[in-house]
Amino acid sequence: MASSAVAATPKKRSKRIPLTYVVALVPVAVALNIVGGQINTVLKLPTFLDMIGTAVVAIVLGPWWGALVGATTNIVSSFISGPIGLPFAACNVVGALIWGYTVRWGWGKTFWGFGLINILVAFFVSLTAVPIYVFIFGGATGHFADMMTAAFLAMGQNLIVSVFSSNILVSLADKIISGFVALAIIEALPANLTQGIQLPKSEGIGKIVWIAAGIVVGVAIALIMMAIQN
Amino acid sequence: MQKKNVEKKEVTVGAKEGIGSGIIGLGVLLVLLPSFSQKISDLDFINSDAFGILAGAAMVMGILVGVAGLAVILSKFDDES
Repeated sequence: MASSAVAATPKKRSKRIPLTYVVALVPVAVALNIVGGQINTVLKLPTFLDMIGTAVVAIVLGPWWGALVGATTNIVSSFISGPIGLPFAACNVVGALIWGYTVRWGWGKTFWGFGLINILVAFFVSLTAVPIYVFIFGGATGHFADMMTAAFLAMGQNLIVSVFSSNILVSLADKIISGFVALAIIEALPANLTQGIQLPKSEGIGKIVWIAAGIVVGVAIALIMMAIQN
Repeated sequence: MQKKNVEKKEVTVGAKEGIGSGIIGLGVLLVLLPSFSQKISDLDFINSDAFGILAGAAMVMGILVGVAGLAVILSKFDDES
């Protein structure tokens, strides 16, 4: 009886990972974040796209490795494109912790669960970002969300509610896209690096369809925001 | 002469090193905050002074360091090889 129970238990993933994986993955993730952020800035998209690498590392290596990627991303990008990005490192770190811990707790075993994690990340990142926006930058940093903030202010909302409302919408689109793009990247990583991670399981084309559907939902939210704004 | 069978041991990292590296990242952020607070306050559209920016950012970083401390307390580092 006991031996059958032991046999039924899935093999526990080795918690230690080779240092070479970390050395290879962390700089690439930082570069991915910076490139994503720059593309977003140049194209003036209603997203951020600077947390895809953070999500990949937080899920694959662990939440605190993701936090390292998040902090490094904002440090490096603040040297490249100005000091505004540095205070938002806290948002990147919070996102990494939520992605990393929730996947380790098994919340992301299904596609719906994984989508919920992305929404949770969007909520907590916005919660972290709003005080930074309001108390440091006075509610505006030159991002697409500022126009929405102005619209909410014009409707008679106060500054904190307006900044949170605009930021949560942008963040929702961004984190859903980032989460599912990260899932696609994780699928492409070597199997020995991703074995044992509790991510949605699906055979064949099903997984591609789910990932594509997740990205489409995120893009649709972004497009709706752009349409409303115009 | 006896030939030694030397196995090359692979260097691995775990939760302990992960949390440590995360705290180092937060530490680097804290080190950079004073100079960047001044740079941010020098921007044309910023009304806050450098001290306010530094104080607010230090509080957020302090909370994250607290979370890191909790992670150290609650994590089981029994995975060391």
